[in-house]
Amino acid sequence: MIYIGAEEIISPLGQNMEENFQAVCENRSGVSLIPHAGFNDESIHLSKITSISSQNKFEYLLIDILENVLKQIDPQIVSSKKTIVIVSSTKGDLDRNISSPFTDSIAAFAKYFKLANEPLVVSNACISGVLAINAAGNFIKTGLYDHAIVIGCDVISDFVLYGFQSLFAVSSTPCAPFDANRNGITLGEGCSAVVLSNSKEIFKKTSFQLFTGRSANDANHISGPSRTGEGLFRSVKKTLEQNQISVDEIDFISAHGTATIFNDEMEAIAFDRLEINDKPLNSLKGYFGHTLGAAGVIETAISIQMMRNNLLVKSLGYKESGTSKTLNIATENKSSELNTILKTASGFGGCNASLVIRKL
Amino acid sequence: MSFITVYCHIDENSCSVNGETVLQKNEESSDSWFKQLYKDLAIEYPKFYKMDMLSQAGFIGSELIKRANPDLISNYNDDEIALLFANSESSADTDIRFKESYLDKKTPSPSLFVYTLPNIVLGEIAIRNKWFGENMFAVLPKFTPDFFVQYGMVLLTTGSKAVLAGWLGILEGRVEVFLFLVETESNKGEPFDIENIIKYAGF
Repeated sequence: MIYIGAEEIISPLGQNMEENFQAVCENRSGVSLIPHAGFNDESIHLSKITSISSQNKFEYLLIDILENVLKQIDPQIVSSKKTIVIVSSTKGDLDRNISSPFTDSIAAFAKYFKLANEPLVVSNACISGVLAINAAGNFIKTGLYDHAIVIGCDVISDFVLYGFQSLFAVSSTPCAPFDANRNGITLGEGCSAVVLSNSKEIFKKTSFQLFTGRSANDANHISGPSRTGEGLFRSVKKTLEQNQISVDEIDFISAHGTATIFNDEMEAIAFDRLEINDKPLNSLKGYFGHTLGAAGVIETAISIQMMRNNLLVKSLGYKESGTSKTLNIATENKSSELNTILKTASGFGGCNASLVIRKL
Repeated sequence: MSFITVYCHIDENSCSVNGETVLQKNEESSDSWFKQLYKDLAIEYPKFYKMDMLSQAGFIGSELIKRANPDLISNYNDDEIALLFANSESSADTDIRFKESYLDKKTPSPSLFVYTLPNIVLGEIAIRNKWFGENMFAVLPKFTPDFFVQYGMVLLTTGSKAVLAGWLGILEGRVEVFLFLVETESNKGEPFDIENIIKYAGF
């Protein structure tokens, strides 16, 4: 069995898991209007960490998050030969070295913690986080490693913001996933970690069971979501089949929900085809913005917190249905017995991934 | 058991499949090196011209592998071939050009921006072949045979029946491309292990 726990987050909403989950429970958002941030000097809504100066922010976040994690686990496993660290990120520290955006930060991070194995960087667009957790789980399953620490991290840069602006994909208001009036993403930055192990003894708090999932490509378009949700449909179907989990067992879906017109529509179609569109569902982008490579880990961490607290957190920014297939979007926080959660992600390059976490 | 059944190399001026030269760069041609390779493939796929260098490299490599193993498409279902790629520069070659578009040309280019993720090449190969299988792009400090064997075995034990794997070193004119095909249902090729990857990679 693969155990998962020791979840941690650093974001504009807080420096640790407790502060972040408290903010989410209070339905507070990390998104604010940042003056002069845009390409034409316009003000842009971003979920930006202001407590760390911009230089080497990526490296500091990696170190800070692992320091947080160390308080939650047997600290000796970090430098063990049987531990792998997997970092999920789209752009790393692009502003430090555009030709090699991960090398310096990852080397400094590995040296700081005296890691026995070189960290693996998964850079697979917005599914990086979910894919990294699945890869980590599979590495443990095959016996290559006993433990894995998965860290998702991306920081906001002019590069990424101007890019999304050039695609007209940035929302003029704080993003509103699945809402009828949604008009694009709000970029965010953050760092999150989860620990996976074949032993529950390494965790100081309760751990959960991870069912590793499958990824699937849409084979349709490099930057536009599939009109039929084919890749997401296939990913979730295989994840459930592989783990012999029936749709009846799913209590909640932590969706991707970027708040672009086409992405959210694609997800609604896929969930409808899977006949899970009646399941309570949220997108956490309204709280954290779209943190790209970090998103899958942040959203998995919050999902675990929701299970710990048996609290279904509302999907911030959602008011009225805005997809062709009806979804059961959480409009209020609600106490609810949450035993099994499905986490999904989709990204540029037509990629899709999913995983399931269950309370033990 | 799984086997490396086909492999392919592309560098700055030559291209080979299974160690045999397919094409040498014609220095006199007005076409780019990758365009020369595309023309040599003799296929109609106009999307090739929209791709960045990283995607063109992966596309050409995957087409050459298919040409050497024509049964590849018919032998497998549309979701049984996994794509496992890595490099150490991510999408830096296009990242540099996109940065120039907003710093020097004062207009961020959307057509460059969509290629500023290293996994876009996986999408291009998936679209070309209608492959709905697993995708993984990793960024590693250097070419690491262990990574390909470790993750390749993960893929082959979780539902994939073949893995198209590749190292795509593309940065500012430098070309270091090595693709190989791993198959489980095969009676040819050499065992899929670290030793043979090192032997075939040659770097």
